[in-house]
Amino acid sequence: MSLRKARRPLLTAIAIAGLVAGAACSAPGSDSGTAPGNTGAAPATAPTCGAQPITMKAYFETGFPLPKRLTDEFTKQFPNVKWDIREDQFAVITQNAPRVLADDPPDLMRLPQVSELAKDGLLKNLDGYAQAFGWTSWPASQLQQMRVNANGQRGDGPLYAMGLNFSMTGIFYNKKLATRIGLTQPPATLAEFDTLLKKAKDAGLVPVNQFNGGGTGGLAFPLQNLMSAYGEPGPINDWIFQKPGATIATPANLQATQHLERWVKAGYFAPDLNSLDYATMMSRFIGGKSVFIFDGDWESGNLDKQMAGNAGFFLMPPAQPGGKRAAMSAPLTYGISTKAANADCAAFFLNWVATNRQARDIAVEVGGSHPMGPAGAYMPAVKQGTVTAGTLEAGATIGKDNGAMDFIANATGAIYAKSWTPQLQKLAAGQQTPDALLKTVQQDYEKQIKG
Amino acid sequence: MIADRREALVGRVLLVVLMAVTVLPFVSLFVTALHPSGTYPSGLAWPDHPQWSNFADAFRAANMGKLLLSSTLIVLGVVPAALLLGTMAGFAFGHLRMPGHRAGFLLFVLGLTLPFEGIITPLYYQVRDMGLLNTRWAIILPLIGLFMPFSVLWMRAHFVTMPDDLSEAARIDGARTWQLFWRVHVPLARPAISSLAILLFLWTWNQFLLAIVLVDDSTKRTMAGALGAFQGQWGTDIPLLCAGALLILTPTLAVFVVFQRRFVAALLQGSIKG
Amino acid sequence: MEPTTIGRRRVRGARRRRAAWLGWLFAAPALLMYATFVLRPLLLTVQYSFYDWNGVTASTWVGLDNYRQLLTDPDLFASIVHAFELIVFFSLLPVVLGLVIAATIRGIATSRLALVARTVLFLPQVIPLVAAGIMWSWLLSSTGLANELFSAVGLDSVTRAWLGDFDTALPAVGVIGAWVLVGLCTLLLLAGMSKIDPALYEAARMDGAGALREFFAITLPGLRQEIGVCVTVTVIAALASFDIVYIATQGGPGNSTMVPGLEIYYLAFSEREVGMASALAVALVILVLVCVLPIQRLTRDGSR
Repeated sequence: MSLRKARRPLLTAIAIAGLVAGAACSAPGSDSGTAPGNTGAAPATAPTCGAQPITMKAYFETGFPLPKRLTDEFTKQFPNVKWDIREDQFAVITQNAPRVLADDPPDLMRLPQVSELAKDGLLKNLDGYAQAFGWTSWPASQLQQMRVNANGQRGDGPLYAMGLNFSMTGIFYNKKLATRIGLTQPPATLAEFDTLLKKAKDAGLVPVNQFNGGGTGGLAFPLQNLMSAYGEPGPINDWIFQKPGATIATPANLQATQHLERWVKAGYFAPDLNSLDYATMMSRFIGGKSVFIFDGDWESGNLDKQMAGNAGFFLMPPAQPGGKRAAMSAPLTYGISTKAANADCAAFFLNWVATNRQARDIAVEVGGSHPMGPAGAYMPAVKQGTVTAGTLEAGATIGKDNGAMDFIANATGAIYAKSWTPQLQKLAAGQQTPDALLKTVQQDYEKQIKG
Repeated sequence: MIADRREALVGRVLLVVLMAVTVLPFVSLFVTALHPSGTYPSGLAWPDHPQWSNFADAFRAANMGKLLLSSTLIVLGVVPAALLLGTMAGFAFGHLRMPGHRAGFLLFVLGLTLPFEGIITPLYYQVRDMGLLNTRWAIILPLIGLFMPFSVLWMRAHFVTMPDDLSEAARIDGARTWQLFWRVHVPLARPAISSLAILLFLWTWNQFLLAIVLVDDSTKRTMAGALGAFQGQWGTDIPLLCAGALLILTPTLAVFVVFQRRFVAALLQGSIKG
Repeated sequence: MEPTTIGRRRVRGARRRRAAWLGWLFAAPALLMYATFVLRPLLLTVQYSFYDWNGVTASTWVGLDNYRQLLTDPDLFASIVHAFELIVFFSLLPVVLGLVIAATIRGIATSRLALVARTVLFLPQVIPLVAAGIMWSWLLSSTGLANELFSAVGLDSVTRAWLGDFDTALPAVGVIGAWVLVGLCTLLLLAGMSKIDPALYEAARMDGAGALREFFAITLPGLRQEIGVCVTVTVIAALASFDIVYIATQGGPGNSTMVPGLEIYYLAFSEREVGMASALAVALVILVLVCVLPIQRLTRDGSR
């Protein structure tokens, strides 16, 4: 068709298209503001799941048996409650969170990061439940990390999430391989740990099989541990909680990042570090292919089962001998959507997890970590020498040293996927310097807080 | 003569190599699926104890029965409707050729090279506002719309080749336009329609983006979308993932093997016309 | 004669008006679906691209800001660059390989082997791209078949996690795409070759032309339309790629395999930046048109 002959039909076509545009005149988005009914007023009586059959919609994280075991036990005790569970991997859950909470709300959802979701009014204010169930009488530090104020800063404000238990992180080691490098007791300083790593490398073992692929940069674990070894946990927590003026590019953190870079250059990590995902890391560690991994006690139950007697745990040693210890220790957070159909039952479940005896048993056995709840609540007996015992004891040390931190990956909704992970992957590939890494993350952080 | 035979031999070898490269990933998938659950087998190693049960486990875990049903329902929703609408419009533009038909046809042609990502964002909000989010209609209705450019083009290309005297003769016999369409032209268009049906079936079954954006429930998605959900839930267990992937591939492969000649012809023509 | 002619003309006029109305009636349902689910969203995408919107609360007008950011933000711009890099693998490789292979097997195109090959070579086109992504993720992993084969021929030093290495991730994704598309291109070109008049080849042989001259002088020009089709289909596949990258690398490691299709998905649904996502979407649509129209111009020989 020559251009001239095509002109008339072409113009007509465009005109038709333009008419259709009439449907698209108004600016998108509505001024609905915060969702109504999210005031968090305390219900008259503590809510229950009632006696009618209900189906709870839940969205959990793949590869963690704890929530499923808890919901199974819950159904055993409350037969009228059935669970419809959807699972996805960490990166996908974080990606899907804003969309799913708004348009296809589950009653209970695993949410690693809640500050933006709370700010956008997608999460239910749990203060009312906290009062009705008496969560406010628990040690304040348990709930502190899940409070978000109106500016999106954490640490105070209404409660927007609850945890199934309190995790503890540190370094797990393979006892059999450890004897080959002369590890008889946990290193007391960072320098001792460095020596152990070198010995492992020289012995032809993979010192640390850390994951850093699959959309999740697992080097954040050792990095944060190094940060708290070199500096105080306080400023790190401030940065994570979005306190005004907080920065991650501090001198102590720079030293920590440089130390991590030294480990990378010395070859202490697996050669395919950047394509290792979490599940592969666990599979290799359990299979005896590495000496150490930086992980959390959510694996304690699993390791006690699959590596019985062969797994050990210690906290990251401080840089100076005798220094205070710090570790990432945060509740594994779950939130309730503002539009959830069965919010009361979800809150009741969360309370049950912390107070019911069987639930606490499961939390320790399967979850391997400390349940939430009032101080001095029932704790099941744990066998000495198990990894679970080790991680629980570590909790006491961290409590004493006031060294509990949240994860740097949880500072904002996108900081992990869009900032930490690509930067850490570049560092691992030798394509980024420690200084530029911290500066870039800080820039991204400031941009994300503003937007 | 010798040159010809050498050419033929080189040709055969090349063909065999190409086929091997094509089939190798499928074989690898199959072999890996037989390994014990949770392991990370290396390369193409046949397991010591083939776990045929993995397929049964994957079948159950993936809810294959429901997935098949869902995908079939979506195909039944999309393909007949798209065929009808495309044939009618192709008939109008190709045969009736009413005033302005060139403009109308050009409007459809504009959408031929449109990537789905180009409209997925407002489509999400539109489907949400229609209240169809997380239902099969969320996939069916947009797909019908998205398949219109190609379907109209395809069917028009057929109707353009139909001589006018055919319709003249039928009209003289008193046929109204709809009867002309339905009784005379559609039967004649059967080869074109069946090829189009094959293409639309394939594209619907394998539709991924719309499925994962507009539908959260994996039992309401297409097979490809369900595979995405399966990978999300079981992706850390490689043998199970491979078994599930193979199971999800099987219906498509089965249909393909049965209708292979029509498939190949349709796909080849489809690329040329599109 | 006159009254009947006028009468017939009037009848014909009436018939033409009825035909016009009927014609549009036939086309209406298709137009309705198309307008509702394609045209309207397309125009909305353009509209959204001028706003800053998080999909939930009210939006703010930002004019061309999103487009400016698209051109200046290195990460966003990189995704477009990657799409073009993928064209080399999705497009150039299958077309060139397809030509070579089709030319070589032309002689045995009707043998039984070729018929079996036709079915086998189409398998990658029949399966969902997601499945291809899963298959190849496993093949290209550090313990996968690819590395096993390399070790078997003594190339141990080359082995690595192909999809996790900054330098090789994008080419690895490209290889997956090439695998999906090479069969289609080969068969398309082969079908095209069978349409070339064998007399031309006879004449060339008579003149003493070798295989290469035959190829460039006869085969290539004769395949203009088919090559055009191959290139169009594969270029669109490369620019609009989503499924494979989503499953295989999620855009990583770092940002090295991010493509516009995936970036739009992340921006719109995970980072809640609907305006930016829409701007990128508009850019993608224009990019595809800019790439495909010239190809169509160059290779269609006017017949439609």
